[in-house]
Amino acid sequence: MRYISVFPIVAILCILFGSAFTGLVIAPGVASDVVRAPSVGLVAYSPSEAKGRKIYAREGCVYCHSQQVRNVKADENLVAAFGVSKAGDYFYDLPHFLGTSRQGPDLSNEGRVWRREIGAPARDYLIGHFINPRQYNPNSIMPAFDYLSTQELSDLTDYIQSLGAWKDNVKVAAAGL
Amino acid sequence: MTSIQDRDNSVMLGNGIKPKSEPLPIDLPDSAAQIWLYSGIFWMSVTMLIGVVEAIKLFYPEFLQGVPALAYGRLRPVHINVGLFGFMSMGYLGATFYMVPRLTQTPLFSERLGSLTAWFWNFNLLGGCMGILMGFSKGKEYTEIPFPFDMMIGLLVIAIAGNLFSTITLRQERRVYVSLWYILLAIIPFPIYYTLGNASKFSGIEDAIINWFYSHNLFGIWLTTLGLATLYYMVPKQVNKPLYSHIVSFVGFWTLAAFYPWNGGHHVIWGPVPMWVMTASVTASIAMFIPTCATMINFGGTAWGTWEIMKRDVSYRFSLLAYVCYVGASLWGTVLAVMSLNAMLHFTNMTIAHVHLGFLGFGVPGLIAFTYFYLERSLKLKYSQNLAEWHFWLTMLGIIGYVVSMGISGWIEGAAWEAGGSPQSTMVDRYPYHVARAVSGLIVLAGQFLFVWNVYKTVNYPVSLPTDSLDSLQKTGVTS
Ligand code: HEC
Ligand code: HEM
Ligand code: HEM
Repeated sequence: MRYISVFPIVAILCILFGSAFTGLVIAPGVASDVVRAPSVGLVAYSPSEAKGRKIYAREGCVYCHSQQVRNVKADENLVAAFGVSKAGDYFYDLPHFLGTSRQGPDLSNEGRVWRREIGAPARDYLIGHFINPRQYNPNSIMPAFDYLSTQELSDLTDYIQSLGAWKDNVKVAAAGL
Repeated sequence: MTSIQDRDNSVMLGNGIKPKSEPLPIDLPDSAAQIWLYSGIFWMSVTMLIGVVEAIKLFYPEFLQGVPALAYGRLRPVHINVGLFGFMSMGYLGATFYMVPRLTQTPLFSERLGSLTAWFWNFNLLGGCMGILMGFSKGKEYTEIPFPFDMMIGLLVIAIAGNLFSTITLRQERRVYVSLWYILLAIIPFPIYYTLGNASKFSGIEDAIINWFYSHNLFGIWLTTLGLATLYYMVPKQVNKPLYSHIVSFVGFWTLAAFYPWNGGHHVIWGPVPMWVMTASVTASIAMFIPTCATMINFGGTAWGTWEIMKRDVSYRFSLLAYVCYVGASLWGTVLAVMSLNAMLHFTNMTIAHVHLGFLGFGVPGLIAFTYFYLERSLKLKYSQNLAEWHFWLTMLGIIGYVVSMGISGWIEGAAWEAGGSPQSTMVDRYPYHVARAVSGLIVLAGQFLFVWNVYKTVNYPVSLPTDSLDSLQKTGVTS
């Protein structure tokens, strides 16, 4: 008798929480074709890119940089230049770096801006910018990552240059067909 | 209508249960509550200090440059985790450990377990934050605390929930006051979504959806519910009259419990997630209007016509500040979830304004109100009225400065992006607002300093209140 007024509360709470759990956790996993398949042409990270990704996580780049282009007016320029991000683009991302803030620019297509084909100038720019962003943009509020080792800077640059780069290859392949 | 929370709160050892011969200090009533509460105040000061440092770094990036552990990207997750798991969790658990024995008229199941979990929690959190500073962050928002410290938090919550739940099932008072409903909602699902959020190894978009399912439950049905439980307990006592309406609180609670867990997807509106995830979450976020209104009506009704108490009692004024900011933050959240507005304001400082109206506006004053309430009503000590007044006005000024500056800046950014601008092009526009935010943070921090000083003095150099003064004050304060 003494549990009588607590038990129903607990039971109803479990049902309410359980329904949200089903809707937001189980259902997206079951709808695997949308969420769990990689985009066409997506390549997995190379070992150095994966290391760079770890540095990206460790140094908290995600707190200032998003990695998603939305189909909205505020992203019009990004959509025009790079297209809208799709679920499959993130297949290999663990953890995800979608981000919630844009103190700095969106980086999901940074590898198509500072392309690998440019060679040394692109790498030098990116590494120089990591070490001292204010040398390139005096107003920048990006922290200076001058404490990273040469190897770490190189891995990080590999990772940044991989972002979205595969999309260009897909385009090239499509044009060649 | 007399309600449970109006009863005398001195029944600490339970009806008819004789105290054991000589209880150890650790077994004394409220010893656990005290450790939780004071730890919460400590972490609140830490999170504010770090907040100010980050805020300065966002307009003067050379500040403290060169020390890896003090880089912005490492301080920010520490700010968040100390804020959520240190200040909010610990402080409000302190209030919970205080409320539960009184609402159930039953001594806490185990004071000793309560105190031990509090100390463990402190050291565990310290370890986790050190881990982040040293570069072991897990790298996903709200789950940064590295293994094994993250799993330890889950285990500790299970021990805490067991302690509280046992007290509730053994209770002498059979009626269950609304604060207890909120506490039940807080302690039951936590281990599930916490473990899911911290230990799951999904990748890509699934990871993102689960991350936000976890995070929003953390704000919504852990921190906010504990905060609301405290306000529901405290405000009727402060005004010395029963809650305005138990029906309204019933509606408010059940709609909140039904809609909040669905809110997670509103953090990725327009993102690369399935459309129905967004639609479900946006609908639930807009439906959150109902519990918000219920809270607004209930506290508004209870507080109506209490100008006399408001003028006199700083603690009560802090409660009202928390209440107003809670309603404000929730309405603001509902507006941010409207898809067209989110398209413009997502990624801007507008989110930061919303977050701090929630935590700095609702979380901070709520816990402060409880602390003053605890000193005065439970310990029967007299704190410095003067310092408390200063503290109140500084805190309020700081909150307004923070929220207004970030709100304007967020609006400017959103408008500029829609007009073809970019984060780089708005950097100069953001500058003055970032300065204003840091100044507001400093003002809050100054108030916090007075607060800590005041509490320290009150507890260590006690001046008792004349026993009858409280009761007579309470009587004269009630105008209706
Ligand atoms: C305090 C916020 C902040 C953090 C943390 C941060 N950035 Fe930035 N980032 C910015 C801002 C602001 C800009 C734009 C101004 C500029 O170019 O410096 C930017 C620009 C960039 C650019 C574009 C450079 C260009 O000109 O195209 C890259 C690439 C970049 N950041 C990478 C990173 C990486 C990698 C990290 C983590 C190691 C990081 N950022 C951390 C704020 C930040
Ligand atoms: C003195 C007061 C404070 C100051 C100056 C301050 C400052 C800041 C700054 C500069 C940021 C980063 C904003 C950005 O990314 O652009 C931030 C984020 C955050 N702060 Fe505070 N803060 C304060 C108090 C608090 C308190 C008390 C809490 C309580 C829990 C809190 C919780 C958070 C959270 C959760 C975020 C992350 C928001 C997000 O990811 O969207 N802050 N704060
Ligand atoms: C009815 C209530 C609420 C609704 C509908 C709501 C809605 C939202 C929405 C839509 C966002 C995403 C904004 C964006 O990124 O564009 C958000 C972010 C957030 N909200 Fe709320 N909110 C509510 C109440 C609260 C309260 C009371 C708190 C705190 C106590 C809170 C804490 C947060 C935090 C910390 C974030 C930032 C997460 C991040 O980006 O890191 N919310 N909220």
